[in-house]
Amino acid sequence: MTIGHSNVVEDVEAPAARTEPARLTPEEAAALARGAGLEELGVRPGLLGYAREVWSYRHLVWHLSSAQAWATNQNNYLGQLWAVLNPLLLVGSYYLIFGLLLKTRGGTSNYIAFLTIGIFVFGYSASAIIAGSRAVVGQIGLVRALRFPRAVLPISVTLTQFLVNVPAFAVLMVMIPLTGEPFSPHWLLFPVALVFQSLINLGLAFFLARVVNAARDSANLVPVGVRLARYVSGVFFSIPHYAGHGLLSAVLLYQPLAVSMTTAREALMDQYPLTWGSWVAAAAWGVALSVTGIVFFWRGEGRYGSS
Amino acid sequence: MEAADVADTTSPSVVCSGLDIVYTVFGAKQKGTDTGGELPLVERLLTKRNPVSSVRKVHAVKDVSFVVNHGEAVGIIGRNGSGKSTLLRAVAGLMPPTNGRVWASGRPSLLGVNAVLLTGLTGAKNVMIGGLALGLTPRQVRERYDDIVDFSGIGDFVNLPMSAYSSGMGARLRFAISTAAAPDILMIDEALATGDAEFQARSRDRIAEIRRDASTVFLVSHSNAAIRESCDRVLWMEQGRLVMDGPTDEVVRAYEQSHRKATA
Ligand SMILES: Nc1ncnc2c1ncn2[C@@H]1O[C@H](COP(=O)(O)OP(=O)(O)OP(=O)(O)O)[C@@H](O)[C@H]1O
Ligand SMILES: [Mg+2]
Repeated sequence: MTIGHSNVVEDVEAPAARTEPARLTPEEAAALARGAGLEELGVRPGLLGYAREVWSYRHLVWHLSSAQAWATNQNNYLGQLWAVLNPLLLVGSYYLIFGLLLKTRGGTSNYIAFLTIGIFVFGYSASAIIAGSRAVVGQIGLVRALRFPRAVLPISVTLTQFLVNVPAFAVLMVMIPLTGEPFSPHWLLFPVALVFQSLINLGLAFFLARVVNAARDSANLVPVGVRLARYVSGVFFSIPHYAGHGLLSAVLLYQPLAVSMTTAREALMDQYPLTWGSWVAAAAWGVALSVTGIVFFWRGEGRYGSS
Repeated sequence: MEAADVADTTSPSVVCSGLDIVYTVFGAKQKGTDTGGELPLVERLLTKRNPVSSVRKVHAVKDVSFVVNHGEAVGIIGRNGSGKSTLLRAVAGLMPPTNGRVWASGRPSLLGVNAVLLTGLTGAKNVMIGGLALGLTPRQVRERYDDIVDFSGIGDFVNLPMSAYSSGMGARLRFAISTAAAPDILMIDEALATGDAEFQARSRDRIAEIRRDASTVFLVSHSNAAIRESCDRVLWMEQGRLVMDGPTDEVVRAYEQSHRKATA
């Protein structure tokens, strides 16, 4: 089973015309490869095998995410200080607009806490969704340089955004008591709310990363969608107060992004007691989106990096 | 069959059958790059191109087939844009084939001249990320970290972002990372060209070492001397097609003759 070492496969500019070489047919090539125990490239493994492979790259996920999260704020003089300054400035400007000028504080007793939670929690989802949609196309250099299951990318982008937002969450935890909220053991549920929210973000990142890889143009729609969601998810105002209690209000309240904010507010604010409905909804969205998301993403494996 | 003089030439490590690679290029500018811009409006509208979308297909690799055995060192030569880098990416499993099939043993390690890891991150972080992606454990990377940095010879610069490296420094670090994992298949895409003489000599030794472990080496280079020195077999690519596949001397001579004909 050898291949001619002097094959002139096609005579474009080779010196003299030679005889057509004995080329392997596709069947012969496949048999040869199978005989040698070679692995075929560019084919998609089974779902379970894929999940196992992704798990074996967990260290890569962690190092990729932590390094990139750290690098996010490195290219200026104040460096990591911006991780805290940015969210503070954001809250200040939004309070000016929505608290003092537009007065959307209806139905809330502690508007600053309400607004701060909304901004920080939604901000995490917004940045994770936008970055997640570009998880594959934005890292094409990495995709074309190293071989690993591509699901590593949306996972690591989501984790990166989580890490980037940790200082903001820390600021939040300092601000909440300052706004007059009484201490409560419910605060311990805030990390749980963040876990559900992260699963939701991860699921959306899986879906969007594959769609954007297949159809580049859709990347332009993602920020538009996120901006739209910012205004209907109850970041600045209480949905029940302004949308009533009808079907529309329920849809607005139980969509994944709004539910993330509701659970965070129930954990941190005295005005909102814990309700089963929102926590179960958040958990259900998180599990459903991340599981269907990875299946959807896996079905595109082998096509990432082709354009 | 005259074969490589290295051990175990009977068992293939790469099988490539009827490989086609087509790139989809976005943002291909049409005005000015063809004469369409100067044509009268009606004719411009009649030419088939869609004026809104700027997507074009580039058929970079066309129907390429070959078999490479363990321990072989294969050079790939050809003009700029002939598809050498694309072929390597496909054989490394980084570009899905548009048509045809590729099989390979183990985990190929591709070292491209543009294989930027993450330029915003420090060399040290890139050593870790590159090592993990090549299948090492964090512990193995830490154990080999000093070796990698020593071999690269970049010293303290390892703690600076890679965007602050000279091209030779980047190449040294990438080479050190790619060879640290003792890959089954090592692919080098012009990566050694930017290194200085001392580094080229050291990397030649490292390549010879890797070949002794019955690994396969692919080397893309525009330096025929480098190809002659390290390879015993050469693939000649021309406009995406594999034109010639044979012993180094024969193919390189034919390639050089084709230049002479072109310039004469
Ligand atoms: N990322 C890419 N997107 C679109 N087209 C590409 C891309 N990379 C290469 N091509 C196209 O594919 C063809 C082959 O390119 P390739 O980089 O494989 O050539 P090469 O033989 O490595 O050239 P060089 O000697 O200059 O490195 C070229 O026509 C090029 O325009
Ligand atoms: Mg090239």
